[in-house]
Amino acid sequence: MTVASKIEPLVYKSIPPSRYSWFARIVKLSPQLLLTLLIIPVLAGLVFVLLPAFGWAPALDQTQLSFDGFIAISNTPGITHMIALSMFSGLVSTFIAFLITIMILAVFFTSSWLHTIERLLSPILVIPHAAAAIAVGFLIAPSGMISRLISPWLSQWEMAPNGIFPYDPYGISIIIGLTLKELPFLLLMALGVLAQPELGKKLRSQHKVALNLGYCPLTAFFKVVLPSLYPLMRLPILAVLAYASASVEMPLILGPNTPATLAVTIMQWFNDVDLNLRIQASAGAILQLIITCILLLIWLGGEKLCHVFFRDSLTNGVRDHGGAFWQKITVVITTFVISFILLSLVGLILWSFAGFWRFPNALPEQFVLLHYTQALMQMGDALFNTVFIGISATFLAIAITLLCLEAEQLDNKPLSRITSLIIYLPLLVPSIAFLFGLVWLQQLIAHQAAFFSVVFSHLLFVLPYVFLSLASSYRRLDPRFSQVAASLGAPPSKVFFQIKLPQLFAPILIAAALGLAISFGQYLPTLLASGGRVSTITTEAVALANGASRRTSAVYAIIQMVLPFIGFIIAWVLPKYFFKSARA
Amino acid sequence: MPQCNGNKKMVQYCLFYIALSFFSHLTFANMANTQKSTERWQQIEHHARLQTVYFHAWGGDPQINSYIQWVAKQVNEKYQINLVHVKLADTSEAVSRVLAEKAADNNTQGSVDLIWINGANFATMSEHSLLLSQWANYLPNFKYTDPNNNPAVTYDFGIATNGMESPWGQSSLTFYYDSATIKTPPETLNALLKWSENNPGRFSYPKPSDYLGMSFLKYALTVLHQHSSDEIKNQLNQVVNAKTKDKILAPLWQFLDTLHPTLWRKGSHFMQSSAQMRRLIDDTELSLAFTFSSAEIPAAVARYDLIPSIRSYAMADGSLSNTHFVAIPYNASHAPGAQVVANFLLSPAAQAYKQRPEVWGDKTVLIQHTLAPKQQALFTHHNTHPSALPIDAIKRTLNEPHPSWVKAIQMGWQARYGVSQ
Repeated sequence: MTVASKIEPLVYKSIPPSRYSWFARIVKLSPQLLLTLLIIPVLAGLVFVLLPAFGWAPALDQTQLSFDGFIAISNTPGITHMIALSMFSGLVSTFIAFLITIMILAVFFTSSWLHTIERLLSPILVIPHAAAAIAVGFLIAPSGMISRLISPWLSQWEMAPNGIFPYDPYGISIIIGLTLKELPFLLLMALGVLAQPELGKKLRSQHKVALNLGYCPLTAFFKVVLPSLYPLMRLPILAVLAYASASVEMPLILGPNTPATLAVTIMQWFNDVDLNLRIQASAGAILQLIITCILLLIWLGGEKLCHVFFRDSLTNGVRDHGGAFWQKITVVITTFVISFILLSLVGLILWSFAGFWRFPNALPEQFVLLHYTQALMQMGDALFNTVFIGISATFLAIAITLLCLEAEQLDNKPLSRITSLIIYLPLLVPSIAFLFGLVWLQQLIAHQAAFFSVVFSHLLFVLPYVFLSLASSYRRLDPRFSQVAASLGAPPSKVFFQIKLPQLFAPILIAAALGLAISFGQYLPTLLASGGRVSTITTEAVALANGASRRTSAVYAIIQMVLPFIGFIIAWVLPKYFFKSARA
Repeated sequence: MPQCNGNKKMVQYCLFYIALSFFSHLTFANMANTQKSTERWQQIEHHARLQTVYFHAWGGDPQINSYIQWVAKQVNEKYQINLVHVKLADTSEAVSRVLAEKAADNNTQGSVDLIWINGANFATMSEHSLLLSQWANYLPNFKYTDPNNNPAVTYDFGIATNGMESPWGQSSLTFYYDSATIKTPPETLNALLKWSENNPGRFSYPKPSDYLGMSFLKYALTVLHQHSSDEIKNQLNQVVNAKTKDKILAPLWQFLDTLHPTLWRKGSHFMQSSAQMRRLIDDTELSLAFTFSSAEIPAAVARYDLIPSIRSYAMADGSLSNTHFVAIPYNASHAPGAQVVANFLLSPAAQAYKQRPEVWGDKTVLIQHTLAPKQQALFTHHNTHPSALPIDAIKRTLNEPHPSWVKAIQMGWQARYGVSQ
């Protein structure tokens, strides 16, 4: 960074340093600030998990280094089962989500359906994992929506049958939940890549050329578009894989418990009354880290294999690989996925209004507002906290992101590869592995500032998404506006605030809505950083999903979904309103 | 004092305390003490004013949550205390928090002021010296529990509380069933096994890491030893002895080996929590279930969370019973405020309101004869819901085994059934 800053960009040369020094100084420091904010908590969190893992825990009067924690883990009944379940569900769900994403892209690449599908699926992105798990559970349980729709006229079931979903021992329910949740994320990431003007245009025209050369659309996509597209999707895919291998909410709500996945088990050890289990839990967190690394390596190895196997087929000139057949399959799968999602949402809404609803009735006996009135009466504080924390974390994230992107343009040099990788750090390192350590650290620094701790922890997860969402728009800004302004004598601060930010109004709002959505959905960071003293809609929803009433948890899940939607609607409506008034 | 029925050890405690009160408490020093303690209490109340008390309590039941909100309103009006209910999914979260604070040398500014606790969580916290001691026994309202004659408020699962916990309520294991599918529910453990064999997949219990699941296993263990020798029965009330452990647990495993294949999901998956069990009853996946707070059943029917055909009953071979408490961590930031709240929770008005079926229905820990007639009148109730447990349904109470059995049962269970084949 220091080398780069010596080479001043041409356009600013005429401006005396004094006129922009305060702004430039803040801007130049911001990438360092960004890195500090992301690296220190993650690394420190890891260290504070690593120490107890090797037996150093003064609180438990243990200060001798030992491998007891790891030995205890290897003696845990069913440990291989747990690891296998984590790996299997993580890898398979990511692979299926990736496969469906690619198939949808390939089949609908030139069709207007692509945007319809995008619009149908993207709301899923902002649904918190816990809410999605609850909705999926409603659908696939033996007494769930599907079973009710076919009973008793088809199935003869008067009482709920014995079934295996959810909680099936193979983790299929987890895979269904994770796949549905990760698919929209990957699809949007891919579409984001294709939306980059240069690249998108290039790929589309190359695709057209391939079509003209007689390739079937599917083959053209796989041979022409995918090889350029995939490298840009790699990081999001790895983030999905890392998340899926160590997630807690989905396996907790949908997974088996004899035994559960490794991440869930670790969380239970951390929360166990027997405090000595904490050593074992810390060792488990390290094991989880290793497993996630192995999965990432397996994926990268798979990439290499694909590369070796399919390299030649790219240029073998075969025009069609059963395109029509795969096209039909994809249409069927897409329809199935979308109707599955819609049906689970319908189930969720029905439960939130349901009076008595005995199996096998497909509809409740009566519809009541009781669950909403009761929940709304109790959720005031949680609602306020959710919004307040979300806005604080998002505001900080956007400020830092904008400054970093401005630094990039002032220095006329993109962020280094390492920096770009580090932005993904909180998404790549399983949160279960560093959050518990982070809590110990926060205890040392600021044990009374629960709100601050929560905002800070949320920032870790909000920042990457906000950065990813804003970066492409910022880099795409037409530089000529700034150049004109600068040549008229406007200092960089003025260019930034009066030229660039107004042009970025819509993308900033979208990034803000995304940041809010991510913050609203955080469960573990909120719970751990605040010591449970700060309740949000999500912490309440997970507590209720494991507690009391299906109807109340449906209400909370719906409010969890509605909150981010409000954010996105505002982000969508405001620019239209402003531009309209500007035009008039 | 239902706890004293049917258990020799508790009778011994009672006698011991009666003796103690005769020989040591009948002194004139008592009067001086009373005056001193009044002054002390006034000081505590003075410090408590305007404090914000963070009450960490399980938050899975809307009825209990509303009751705590009611308490918050009361203590705000009476003592200007701002009571904040920190809703936990599991009490152990608060235990972890206090431990993390101790690890970070935060010995005076803890984030937990008051915690709803009993059994294994209490045993852990007291073992690691994480609780403030010698305060509960000085609360002005503690006298209404008749502590000298009532071991239920001074012993938590057989461990002396030493003033670390103030009693809050009592609960007993209550069973409930769907009367639309079951005509006569099984009333003993043996009948339960037979019934489950005839109705496969319609009964199960939460995984024993859950409080209620463990309670079912303790109920089974206690009942299975009902005809054992006194020597063996006594061992259940003491710290687990490594030598006799296997022998004592053997009948339980034998019982579970026969029961499990008949359970929901054939015993290869267990419910994560007691609340999930209630949902499964509503889904008609299960027909028979149990709970530790009998009042939640009619309340759940009133909220449509359970079908109206649900009926509650108590097992004829005994109901496992225990007391639940509130405690203050050693590093609580607002200990005076927490004590005033604990004292308010023990007041006849708060206890009577809590016992009303439509509020929470949790049984009081106060002993009627210590109360003035006007206070006693607060406790008389009327109309019962068809799904509620009939008054006096509990014929026999069973005492909780020593908390060390929890770990022994859990380890054994995990090794035998924790990994499904």
